[in-house]
Amino acid sequence: MTTPTAPGASADAAASAVDSAPAVATPKVVEQIDWASKHYLIVDDFVGIRQLLRESLRSLGARNIDQASSGGEAMSLLNKLRYDVVLCDYNLGEGKNGQQVLEEARVRQLLLPSSVFVMVSAEKSVESVMGAAEHQPDAYLVKPITEGVLLTRLNRVWRRKQIFRLIDQAFVEKDYLHAARLCDEQIAANRVHVIELLRMKARMLEKSGQPARAREVYEQVLAQREYHWARAGLGKIRMADGEFEQARLMFQTVIVENRHYIDAYDQLAKAYQGMGQHEEAAAILERAAKLSPNSVPRQRNLGQAALRLGNVPMAEKAFRKCLVIGEYSIRKAPDDYLGLARVCGLKNNTKDALQLLLLAQREFGSEHEHMVLRAKITEGLIYHESGDYQNARRCGDELEGLLNADPKRPGTAICIEMATLLFAVGVKRMAGEVLAYVIRNNHDNTLLQDEVQKIFDRARLPDEGAAIIRSARKEAADLMNQGVVLWKTGKLPDAVKWMRQARERLPDNVRVLFNAVQVSISYIQQYGYDAELEAEARGVLEHVDKLQPGQQRFAQLMEQLRNLQPKPPAPGDAEGEGEQPAATPAPATKPAPQPAARPARSRRFS
Amino acid sequence: MEESRQSPELSLFLASTAHDMKNSISVLSGTLERLLDGATPETEKAYAQMAQMLYQTRRLNDNLMQLLALYKQVGKAGYPFDLQPLEVGQVVEQVVALARVLLESRGIALELDYDPEQIVHADEDLIVGVVSHAVNNALHYTRDRIRLAVRDTGGDLEIRVEDNGEGFPPALLAAGAPASSASGVNFLTNSAGLGLYFSGEVARMHRHRERTGAVRLENGGTLGGGCFILTLP
Repeated sequence: MTTPTAPGASADAAASAVDSAPAVATPKVVEQIDWASKHYLIVDDFVGIRQLLRESLRSLGARNIDQASSGGEAMSLLNKLRYDVVLCDYNLGEGKNGQQVLEEARVRQLLLPSSVFVMVSAEKSVESVMGAAEHQPDAYLVKPITEGVLLTRLNRVWRRKQIFRLIDQAFVEKDYLHAARLCDEQIAANRVHVIELLRMKARMLEKSGQPARAREVYEQVLAQREYHWARAGLGKIRMADGEFEQARLMFQTVIVENRHYIDAYDQLAKAYQGMGQHEEAAAILERAAKLSPNSVPRQRNLGQAALRLGNVPMAEKAFRKCLVIGEYSIRKAPDDYLGLARVCGLKNNTKDALQLLLLAQREFGSEHEHMVLRAKITEGLIYHESGDYQNARRCGDELEGLLNADPKRPGTAICIEMATLLFAVGVKRMAGEVLAYVIRNNHDNTLLQDEVQKIFDRARLPDEGAAIIRSARKEAADLMNQGVVLWKTGKLPDAVKWMRQARERLPDNVRVLFNAVQVSISYIQQYGYDAELEAEARGVLEHVDKLQPGQQRFAQLMEQLRNLQPKPPAPGDAEGEGEQPAATPAPATKPAPQPAARPARSRRFS
Repeated sequence: MEESRQSPELSLFLASTAHDMKNSISVLSGTLERLLDGATPETEKAYAQMAQMLYQTRRLNDNLMQLLALYKQVGKAGYPFDLQPLEVGQVVEQVVALARVLLESRGIALELDYDPEQIVHADEDLIVGVVSHAVNNALHYTRDRIRLAVRDTGGDLEIRVEDNGEGFPPALLAAGAPASSASGVNFLTNSAGLGLYFSGEVARMHRHRERTGAVRLENGGTLGGGCFILTLP
């Protein structure tokens, strides 16, 4: 019965129906996209809907349509084929829901950057306006889905993807300044997407450590209309400046106006934390978790905030929920199990706590670094808190053994937790060593030094502590300065080697890492392009971005690195679409080919 | 702070039931559209009845959607309202696609008058729902033409759905008048009321600075019948 027609079929169908009915005017379609040749995946647990959607797609001309009736089935299909379009229902009965399918597909990179993921739900979903969800689908559709609405939305997403293609790519490559500039280029040409482009631009500027410029963008948007994300964006910048009270007011305004804009809750909680109001922060996180009950990270945040407050029942509820909803989620993490183990420990249920620690190691041991170490720290804490000093000490000794066997250390927060425990159980020498490591890697962070000094004070080792801190700082500063000297005197090969060694000793020292990249860039500028060195520098920057996201110097170095890459040969059609090649660097970050520019940069260097 | 007053179990139950009902209605209306689209009154002797079935299915769907949205507190801060800039062309495209088969099956012509590149700030699902409902309503009362027109009235955007039928009865006109929207018609007893009430709530959610969206009904207009007029700031 159905006439297989080309995309934009409404026009033909309307025309053919003329003899039986008067004309229904057809809206003009800007451009035709070839939907027929694409590969589709339909995910719905209801066979009637799958058939309906398949028919709709067929009338767009589609030939390659796969179907899945559950999240698990969808995952195995996504594993095998890179689909162009995925239509996925949010409610899929038992097992993974649509959001979990999306998250796993994105994390495991089973979707192409050009793939369109459409989330279908029965009613207007809260998730669709939450705004800050890390893994957003490209479009939300509310049932009933009809052919026309589907086609309109698919066309729109496709066009949007074209406009954002280069921006998204720069974003994925963490070349945030470049992404922001690409936004500017697109803004000039796209009236409809201006607001969305400005939003992206502000986000990129924030990530580049340029809050003042991001603020300008938000204000520009707010002058046109009251967008809650722009208001919340301003609040975030206020908060970064330490103006917690003003920030709090902004976030609260956003929440009153739009109760589902969940990002504002997270920010509001941070503002409260910044003011030392931890009870209020936890209360806000609890409301956010209620609004978005199926988000694992949100429950985890709540659990950890509650644990810090000593609110055991609230922490238990949150962590238990974490485990339940995490069952089918790629976003579950060891922290959920460790958190619940702490809760069990606090309730004097050591047996369950140890069971959870075993589970955590079985579940995450292969993919998470320091899993054994972390489980052991938690075990020690649990024994210590329950007054079992013998077992606590045994854990301390075992930790010392682990640390001696492997020179790698976890991040600062875990190190601090570990050192505190080691002192508490009397493994003092190793505690001092761990803290020295922390200081070496944060030698210019005075807040952290005060915190570390306090740990020494509590362990009744104030003077030893002060000496350890002093010598750790000096060691880091010396390592760095020697690199600067080599760099300034033009001994670039030596400087590169030196910084590589410095990184080994100070793997998490952000300033050392930045300098190491800077030295590599100078080397390439002097001696010509070196792909291996560039890759090494990128790896270092990636590590920095994990340690401390949103650093201005990160964005600038990323941009310098991009500008080092050999330019494509043909000057005419360098970048895909004949746009001007990305060789127009911002004045501030212009790579300096000659040593003459060094003084200007060296201010930031050391 | 104010949390939803309904019990979570009821909400969950309602959501899953609604989900189920929407699936059924989707299949029903999708199948009917497909059958009608491939047939003519000459080839299919139940053509007129099928057209009537499709119309009723759509009414069912509109009502269900409106009830659900109202249950989820359309018009209140709690509703997941999603204001975004849209091209008028895309809104019209969706409304037309939703109505096309139904219009053709009843032999009703649709005229369009709009600038596709005009930008409107709206919650897309709600606005498409409201305008489609107005078209479905006009479809029942018009003689043979409906006109969908969108224009900028100096800051506000005006969306008109006009027909060449008898026009709205006085009671409904009074209810649709901006000043008296709260009085007059009892929505519990007037079947036409739900859609109008819903549309009004949706319009009111669209605010910009001091201006607020509104719905009104008139008789006359370009085609001389009923006019449903939605303005958005």
